[in-house]
Amino acid sequence: MTERPLSPHLSVYRMSRYTLLTSILNRATGLALSAGLILLVYWLVAIASGPAAYRAARAVLSRGELKAVYVILLAAFSYHFFAGIRHLIWDTGHGLERTQSQRSAALVAIASILLFIGLVWWALHAGGRAP
Amino acid sequence: MADFRLPANSRIRKGNTHRAPAGALALRTFRIYRFDPTSGENPRVDTFELDITGCGPMVLDALIQIKGSIDSSLTFRRSCREGICGSCAMNIDGLNRLACTTAMEDLGRGDIHIYPLPHMPVVKDLVPDLTNFYAQYASVKPWLVTHTPPPPDRERLQSKAEQEKIDRPAACILCACCSTACPSYWWNSDRFLGPAALLAAYRWIIDSRDEATGERLDALEDPFRLYRCHTIMNCTDVCPKDLNPAKAIAEIKRMLVERTS
Repeated sequence: MTERPLSPHLSVYRMSRYTLLTSILNRATGLALSAGLILLVYWLVAIASGPAAYRAARAVLSRGELKAVYVILLAAFSYHFFAGIRHLIWDTGHGLERTQSQRSAALVAIASILLFIGLVWWALHAGGRAP
Repeated sequence: MADFRLPANSRIRKGNTHRAPAGALALRTFRIYRFDPTSGENPRVDTFELDITGCGPMVLDALIQIKGSIDSSLTFRRSCREGICGSCAMNIDGLNRLACTTAMEDLGRGDIHIYPLPHMPVVKDLVPDLTNFYAQYASVKPWLVTHTPPPPDRERLQSKAEQEKIDRPAACILCACCSTACPSYWWNSDRFLGPAALLAAYRWIIDSRDEATGERLDALEDPFRLYRCHTIMNCTDVCPKDLNPAKAIAEIKRMLVERTS
């Protein structure tokens, strides 16, 4: 008798199900934001180190490639923010019925897209201007 | 721990194809996971073309038809054929469900893919080993625990409202659709109790007659047994009885927080 095989899981389960999509997306955006913190810390350290260090950091942080990273981080933030609120509400024991969680998943998607558009608009117009 | 790849003895190889005889009226193609423990070979996926003329409407009807007319070695659990025994739980077209309450018509026109419940040791074909699942159920003491003597002249009574609280959680049929749909359970089934056992625990915690509520909560206050639940919601999504293990788990977590404050 051979050892029992393990039945397939990730390879057969329907990954496009909203439950899995929202969970994976929440984790992925959380990871992205954690990685993005490195940039924020670098910026803060530069501020604390004086004008010369800040000028050097500013030159690095204004590079085009990093601007693309900021757009990704804004998208990650937009999703993670609302998904986090959804989880907070769940932790109070509310919104856990099947139809409620389907509706809140859609709501989070719509809200995060709107917030993302708003943040990008703000970055390009108001926030993007040099002080 | 999370291991995304299947072990070497579990990787699926190409299987056999059973073509329908010419002149079939209504064909459906089934791709079914097969594992023969006596062969020493890896699992495979066999293709069955079945003429469903005269066959019942449910996936279970088709499985019985395949076993009866094409391959008698096809192995699966079934009993009540009406969604009350929980025996025929399996992964059908990517979701865990009961074969007996899943209509073929509702699965679209394409091939129907059937696998055993995910991330479980396979005994044979569609039969998973549920030993650990049942042991976890037993570990939550799914029975009434009392410290006071019962009333001498009658049963321990409940109000209608008290009974209604446990109506839904008590309707669990232990089919394991929920637990085996849960990624946290996939990666940590050795230490995480899983949605089915936790739903059962909740059913006894909120039972007005039970006198071991504190002990029950103590037993669950553990980073793995309870808190591996990250509210993915796959359990509630797939429950064939429309129960809500995710909500039960959230309620247990809430009770644990509330008793410390």
